[in-house]
Amino acid sequence: MNSCETDRDSIGSWLDGELSPSQSEAVQSHVATCGACAETRRQLEKIDRTLKTSLDAEAVRVDFLPFWREVQSRINRKRSPIEQLVDWGRDILTAPRVTWAIPAVIIVLIGILSLDAYLPGWKFGAARNSFAAVDSIDAHGSSVALLRENETKTTVIWLYQDEEGENDAAADESAKSGPTF
Amino acid sequence: MMLLPTNLRNRVLLFSLLAFAAGTTVLAAEKNPQSVQVTIGTILVSNQNDDFDPKLKSMEKQLRVLKYRSYRLLKNDTQNVPWQGNKVFEIPGGRSLTVAPQEFQNNRIALKVRLTEREKPLLDTTVTVPNKGNFLYVGGPPHEGGNLVLSISAAAQ
Repeated sequence: MNSCETDRDSIGSWLDGELSPSQSEAVQSHVATCGACAETRRQLEKIDRTLKTSLDAEAVRVDFLPFWREVQSRINRKRSPIEQLVDWGRDILTAPRVTWAIPAVIIVLIGILSLDAYLPGWKFGAARNSFAAVDSIDAHGSSVALLRENETKTTVIWLYQDEEGENDAAADESAKSGPTF
Repeated sequence: MMLLPTNLRNRVLLFSLLAFAAGTTVLAAEKNPQSVQVTIGTILVSNQNDDFDPKLKSMEKQLRVLKYRSYRLLKNDTQNVPWQGNKVFEIPGGRSLTVAPQEFQNNRIALKVRLTEREKPLLDTTVTVPNKGNFLYVGGPPHEGGNLVLSISAAAQ
């Protein structure tokens, strides 16, 4: 203990029992050898005694019963539905699980909305038309047949040989042997 | 009740905002694809023998609808076609197929398809195919004693 200022600051804490055993021992040995610090200790102890005496004297006159009754009545008082609702909302919104649930819900929603890009034909669990649709056909004078097969979801535009016989015989033969829709 | 520290809660909210921003970006990108990957498969169908090309296995059920005995893949061509642009696919027999993407809506792609044979148009059609989904087949042109079937599929990029 080289600094007397430090010890004087520590005397109050020492008297209140706030120091560690080693610090208390150091302050105590310093106060025993330092006249100024011993005086400070006496003054602090005197103030402490005065306060305790005064408080004890005044506390006897204080009636604590109404205070405790009020506390008890507040504990037992039934809260209004609005107060209960406000408290419930506060609990819900400040719950740690909900805080984590916000990003989780966002990610799940994004996943659902993006699912269609990765699983074509899927749309919120409802069946979608996965057929190829033919919006317009112009076969430039030739005949065409359009096949739409439900079971395999097949859509075929079939070109037939034109009637003017522009194609060769082999082609005519193959066209004749082709499917009819 | 245990509450999250303010800084941790702020991080979670920031993460939420970032996730939301990333998600909307992904969805926006899905709605505005840059190009369409068009695949044209040229298949020779005939009744000359009983033969099914193993490379066509994935579309066997759909091709069998055509009631031919033989199915052989002659060519498979994939090209990226920009929106509002077009690409020409060479088809055996001096034919060509020009494909032009028109519209992308509800995860379906509208394509303008023109089949020509030595500059002579054989077919002009506008079709809508599911994105990455089922094919559309154009068939009929004679080839090597059989008929050609052109499978057309499209995937937004």
